Amino acid sequence: MAASSVAIEFKDVGLTFPTSSGEPVVALSDANCRFEPGKVTAIIGPSGCGKSTLLQIARGFLEPTRGSLHFADRAQGDKTTSRPAMSTVWQAFNLFPWLTVIENVAFGLEVRGVSRMEREAQARKAIAAVDLAGFENKYPRQLSGGMRQRVGIARALVMKPDILLLDEPFGALDAQTRLVLQEQLAKLVEDSGMTAILVTHSIEEAILLADTIIVMSSRPGRVVAEIPVELPRPRGVATTHEPGYSQLFDRIYGLLRDEVMRAIVTESDAS
Amino acid sequence: MSDQQIIADRATTSAAKQSEAAESRKSLLDDPRVLGWGSVALVLAVWEVGAIATGVNALYLPRPTQIVVALFNMFYTGGLLTDLLVTLYRIFAGFGIALVVGTLLGVWIATSARVRAVADMWIAALYPLPKVTLIPLLIIWLGTGGPFMLTISALGAIFPILINTVLGVRQCDPGLVLAARDLGATQRQIIRRVLIPSAIPSIFAGMRLGLGVSIILVVAAEMVVGKLGLGARLYLAGQILETEQVFAVLIVLAALGITVTKIQDAIDVWLGRWRIA
Repeated sequence: MAASSVAIEFKDVGLTFPTSSGEPVVALSDANCRFEPGKVTAIIGPSGCGKSTLLQIARGFLEPTRGSLHFADRAQGDKTTSRPAMSTVWQAFNLFPWLTVIENVAFGLEVRGVSRMEREAQARKAIAAVDLAGFENKYPRQLSGGMRQRVGIARALVMKPDILLLDEPFGALDAQTRLVLQEQLAKLVEDSGMTAILVTHSIEEAILLADTIIVMSSRPGRVVAEIPVELPRPRGVATTHEPGYSQLFDRIYGLLRDEVMRAIVTESDAS
Repeated sequence: MSDQQIIADRATTSAAKQSEAAESRKSLLDDPRVLGWGSVALVLAVWEVGAIATGVNALYLPRPTQIVVALFNMFYTGGLLTDLLVTLYRIFAGFGIALVVGTLLGVWIATSARVRAVADMWIAALYPLPKVTLIPLLIIWLGTGGPFMLTISALGAIFPILINTVLGVRQCDPGLVLAARDLGATQRQIIRRVLIPSAIPSIFAGMRLGLGVSIILVVAAEMVVGKLGLGARLYLAGQILETEQVFAVLIVLAALGITVTKIQDAIDVWLGRWRIA
């Protein structure tokens, strides 16, 4: 993958939704954070803290109601540039059920106008990269959850995005499948040196994959801490035995526990 | 192996054999084709024998064998094939128009809130209206020729197709639209490559309903004004008390219904191949 040199900087970014009941919902407030090129940044926080909102704002699917974001080219003295190319891997996979694996993976290239020969060659390569060679002509329904998400990853990677967005990519999978896919993704990320933003509920997942972990507060979502992960790569299941792992885990858990508790209390107040 | 176990094993084998025979008899009775065709054969046999036994006048109730003879005669010398083809053309030409217009209009209505606001009014007014009531007005406007027949057929099919298209498009998983957008699809591409394919099962359900209404309306219109076509043939035969011919036409219509249904079933299976794991 061509490494991008563009960073995303959030400055006091907030998003408030108007609702029909008249009480506006603050999905995100005063988010200040940076996503550096060539790095994996994880965003972790309690449910409803605005993690996915932040991702959608970065993608350009949601417009912030306050603050601004900048795309700074680190290779050119932080010159402001246009939004880099991004592709998303979704929690719900969002594969097109009427298309085969290869047609799903080639979809983005097709709408881009790439010729059939070229896009099929690229799709085959991407499918092989996620160990799904031989399943090109299966329909999503014929695959297990883990295989479906690997199709989802291939579909995003084939677009050669500057930044890969991972929106709770393994949230819908069982624990074992999740573990295997996390390791595979960690390897893919390490080998390519790609820029990625990972939204997750899982502390283990964040530590396994990320260079930096952003911890968010409960609603309204704010950035509570930015924690660098300096554990050696390649990382895998064995990383949990590294010195420093448990301290890191405990630190993040400590931050999260307070926020999760607060979220639970606020929710029960509201209901 | 202990003796007791052998005895127990033998007991289960013989029980298994018995239940196997009963099983095959039962499975024959569970086969929907056997049941379906069997019931038809049974009714025809009872009818034939009953008609002979009671000596009922063939003017009221001709025997199945007499109807079959009449049917063959109508096909070979009576030009029934022409009537069948004329009716089929009217049904499917009108239905084809309804399919194209109905799906395009349906997608437009589903993707634009403004168009939907306007269309809702008109659909609410026109959909529940029995389309046969439009026959007199259409004859005043269009006469009784081809344009009239195609219009009445299209009118019958268009509402079910349109309404199901709107429903299907609006029920599309928003995650799929988001994924397509993420992959760089334009609004047009999202409509053509995501919304319409995801609505196809629903559109097809609408086509099923619509085609049924088209058949009813074309045959009814033919009975009112036609000189050609199955409906006209049916009406004329009734007027001159050719009861065998009335039944013969009804059989052709029933056969048409069965054929259309089976073809639709086959298309359903083919379209649904991605839904079956």
